[in-house]
Amino acid sequence: MPRLLASALQLRRDPRILKLPPYLSLLCIIVGVAWLFLLPLDQYSRRTYISENALLPGQVHTYFSGSDQNVFRAYKHEVNELVNKSNAEINDKLEPIVKDIGLKTARQNFTYRAAGHTYSGENLYAILQAPRGDATEAIVLVAAWENVKHEVNKNGIPLALTLLRYFKRWSLWSKDIILLITPDSIAGPQAWVDAYHDAHNPSHVASLPLKSGLLQGAIAIDYAQERRFESVHIVYDGVNGQLPNLDLINSIVNIAGGQMGIGVALQEMWRHNNGYSDRLRTMLRGMLKQGLGLASGAHSSFIPYHVDAVTLRPFGEGWQDEMAMGRVIEGSFRSLNNLLEHLHQSFFFYLLMQRERFVSIGTYLPSAMLVAANFTIMAIALWVKSGQPAEDASPNTKSETPSSTAAPPTTAERDLFLPLGVVALIQSLSIIPLYLFNHAPEGFLTPLFFTFAILNTLLPPALSQLLTTLPRSPTSEHQYNLIKSFSLLLLGMFLSTLATLNFSLALITGLLASPLTFLQPYKTPGARIAATVLLKTISPTAVLLAAATYWGTDVASVLKEGAVAWHICGTYSPVVVWCVWWPAWVATGVVVLGGRGNNRRAKAKTT
Amino acid sequence: MDGAQVTPGQTAGLYTGAAVLRLAIATLLPALPDLLTGRVEISTPVTSFKRLQEGLFLYNHNVSPYDGGVYHQAPLLLPLFSLLPSFTTLPIFTYLLYIAVDLLSASALWRIADSGEAGSSALFSSPRRTKRWSGFVIAAVFLFNPFTVATCLGRSTSVFTTYAILHAIAKAVSGAPFGAMAALSFASYLSMYPLLLLPPLVLLSYDRQRPERAIRSVAKFAAICTATVAGILAILFQMSYFLTGSWEFLPSTYGVQLTLSDLTPNVGLWWYFFIEMFDSFRSFFLAVFWLHLSSYVGGLTVRIRRQPLVVLTLLLGILAIFKPYPSIGDTALFFALVPLYRHVFPLMRYTFVSAAVILYATCLGPAFYHLWIYAGSGNANFFYAITLVWNLGLSLLVCDLMFAVLRDEWEVERPEMVGKEARQI
Repeated sequence: MPRLLASALQLRRDPRILKLPPYLSLLCIIVGVAWLFLLPLDQYSRRTYISENALLPGQVHTYFSGSDQNVFRAYKHEVNELVNKSNAEINDKLEPIVKDIGLKTARQNFTYRAAGHTYSGENLYAILQAPRGDATEAIVLVAAWENVKHEVNKNGIPLALTLLRYFKRWSLWSKDIILLITPDSIAGPQAWVDAYHDAHNPSHVASLPLKSGLLQGAIAIDYAQERRFESVHIVYDGVNGQLPNLDLINSIVNIAGGQMGIGVALQEMWRHNNGYSDRLRTMLRGMLKQGLGLASGAHSSFIPYHVDAVTLRPFGEGWQDEMAMGRVIEGSFRSLNNLLEHLHQSFFFYLLMQRERFVSIGTYLPSAMLVAANFTIMAIALWVKSGQPAEDASPNTKSETPSSTAAPPTTAERDLFLPLGVVALIQSLSIIPLYLFNHAPEGFLTPLFFTFAILNTLLPPALSQLLTTLPRSPTSEHQYNLIKSFSLLLLGMFLSTLATLNFSLALITGLLASPLTFLQPYKTPGARIAATVLLKTISPTAVLLAAATYWGTDVASVLKEGAVAWHICGTYSPVVVWCVWWPAWVATGVVVLGGRGNNRRAKAKTT
Repeated sequence: MDGAQVTPGQTAGLYTGAAVLRLAIATLLPALPDLLTGRVEISTPVTSFKRLQEGLFLYNHNVSPYDGGVYHQAPLLLPLFSLLPSFTTLPIFTYLLYIAVDLLSASALWRIADSGEAGSSALFSSPRRTKRWSGFVIAAVFLFNPFTVATCLGRSTSVFTTYAILHAIAKAVSGAPFGAMAALSFASYLSMYPLLLLPPLVLLSYDRQRPERAIRSVAKFAAICTATVAGILAILFQMSYFLTGSWEFLPSTYGVQLTLSDLTPNVGLWWYFFIEMFDSFRSFFLAVFWLHLSSYVGGLTVRIRRQPLVVLTLLLGILAIFKPYPSIGDTALFFALVPLYRHVFPLMRYTFVSAAVILYATCLGPAFYHLWIYAGSGNANFFYAITLVWNLGLSLLVCDLMFAVLRDEWEVERPEMVGKEARQI
């Protein structure tokens, strides 16, 4: 063992070791990406299964049909009258209807302000008290007046009312059922669920006058389609990429697909042939949605409170009617009603690639961790490199070595103050874009963005110029290495932390930032120009612009979406962009451009 | 910067800057201090400000503060805080008190640094001692350390213990053994664990006595010091008894630390172990854990006899890892003393690794706690795993510092080995 250690120590001195890390980093990235593309294969993904035995999905006969269809038509007639009416008028009309069913009702006002707009409205909700329960647990049926695309939920609202009327007749409920009708799909549910858990800001969101027990699950109906439908689309992404328990999705797939014979789609994959490319596309779409962290439906706000929730949206041309949709929801509610404890058995971290295939966290996490590890490897390598005496032994760096020379000769003393200061400065600067883009009114966003983009291009040269003109000793190559080492260390650290919270966001940010590992001060002018151009194209602002163009929107609406999500739902994706990715990019820019100033100065000294 | 003269203006600037930073955070982000107060990394059952307020409420309503089993802190804190205006109406006074204590700690640290004790003690002078940071830098590192700032804003009562310990060391190096012992008694009264620092502190005071009234015999000096500490502690206990009217405070404060009856999670290693433990083994393992913790005192004091301040630093590091209710405030105290050993930093081998591990744990700890408590998608093992990593990073730093100091001593004894690679045989 001692001999082994000694030879390991010998190896440490080998200069070839220092050549290795960039290749190791590259290998990490390549393996990380390749890993992702292996996941849809049968060998790496698994079939879904129901973990929680109490759910018993599809084991009960559903009775929602027949005369309830007449009730539905009547409610639909009432609801059609209310299209284009104001929120208050709608609630004034709906509240007596709900009261007639025999439920307790209450209303809640909310007002949010974001990006210069006001998002306000009034939620209406009603509680069906469980005949066999003690009001300690509840299930929520959400029907937003408008879905995320601002289509009126013309069938969803009457269906929810009909279902509640139908549920009221049954004596088998052991959990309270809450009907929640919100004016929109994002702010309304968020205000309601915040207030339900007493986590709201009383100046914006009113408290709830009426409450039930612990929420065990929520299902949102988004049924704006007028025609008969073919399949059901399950939307399951929560705010900040949190997901509901996989058992809930599996149960609904089981009930809709297995019992009712209705198709099920995920991630807007209307046709899915269960082949490799369709699985991969489903997975990537899921990851992108998770990475953006926006609310994708009325259910999204529930998930951060550990309430498992999904939105069900019928689509396609088929022969299924509203009653079939109602039976799916009835079956799901019967399953949730069976629960003895909170859904906890199955997975919370998963990627679905088909309605019956998934990968769990143990299988996919390594890819994000490998991408994050590439930064850490490079940071360690740069640290080691910065501790070695300068090869060209320029006189101005020599002064940094200790005077007593008592240290082991291979490690030079490092001057940490300047690099730490630079990294801390850049990191603290990141507050500025975060604050600006989250608080500017919508009209200002476009000019603000382009001004910021120009300043952003000028910032690294300006900072590196500042460093070369420092009154004290000029910045040495070692210090540039240290700046990069610290910024990469921070980046790797933040990304690996983020990977445990929001895997997709960490992976996407990591991949976008991965070129930063390999950019360094180049000696030849051609390489330097190429590096500068590459640096500009991978800047957060350029990527944001490119992404907005690709999806056919403008930057302002992307930024507005981010600001609205930040203020209403607490989406932290802007923090990741501006406080994790952007500082790393600026630090790399300083290093790439700073090497030039240093060389010039060294050249000036020698001539 | 290395040993340069500092003008009074710079001193005032440093203290003002630190105070303004804390006040600005507290006033501009009023939600942040309350968030920090609730964090398990900052507030432990024996230092939490929330629990202090609970005790204060009971005390002001003439109920024993220890009723209900929430308050586990020293009784004399209660009259101090009931003198202040109520926190709910005028929080500024509480902040000012905590900021003042932080600044006093920094000034004590400054005195320790300026004494040069870290580089050359009575029995040993390091050949590298010229390379050191001035008191200004060391006080600045302490005051702007995020852990110190977070502890101050979280209003953990560990800041009082920190001040008492630093003050005791500062008194000891300036040749005032009585002051040192009195300060240590206060620290022990507040948190009990500083009593373990008594042997090295006695030696430090002995080495640093003023020559005109020095006591030559170590045994006599130690006996006097121990008697002083015992006497002051007895007086403090008697005062507490008069204040609360019973001896109930002893089991509620020190008893809780000794028996770990409150198992709230923290950054230490005890809580998870004792949650998992069968009751029949509990007392045995309590004894083992405490024995383990106290066993370092004798060994280190004997081995590094020539540099008692090193023993104190290393012990504070070990206590921040292994004591029953550690928090990042204890880590901040250890980090405050580490920069005194600037001269042996070149001998340390794992600075980058331990710094990176500690940083990683700092980031991942809150994330895993969130997954466990709020998101519900993780469990207790997540958080415990990250506290293991955190303590691994800290122990790496402690070991590395110990290695560097011992190597420094060894190179004086064996000048021919200077610069040679240390190898395990």
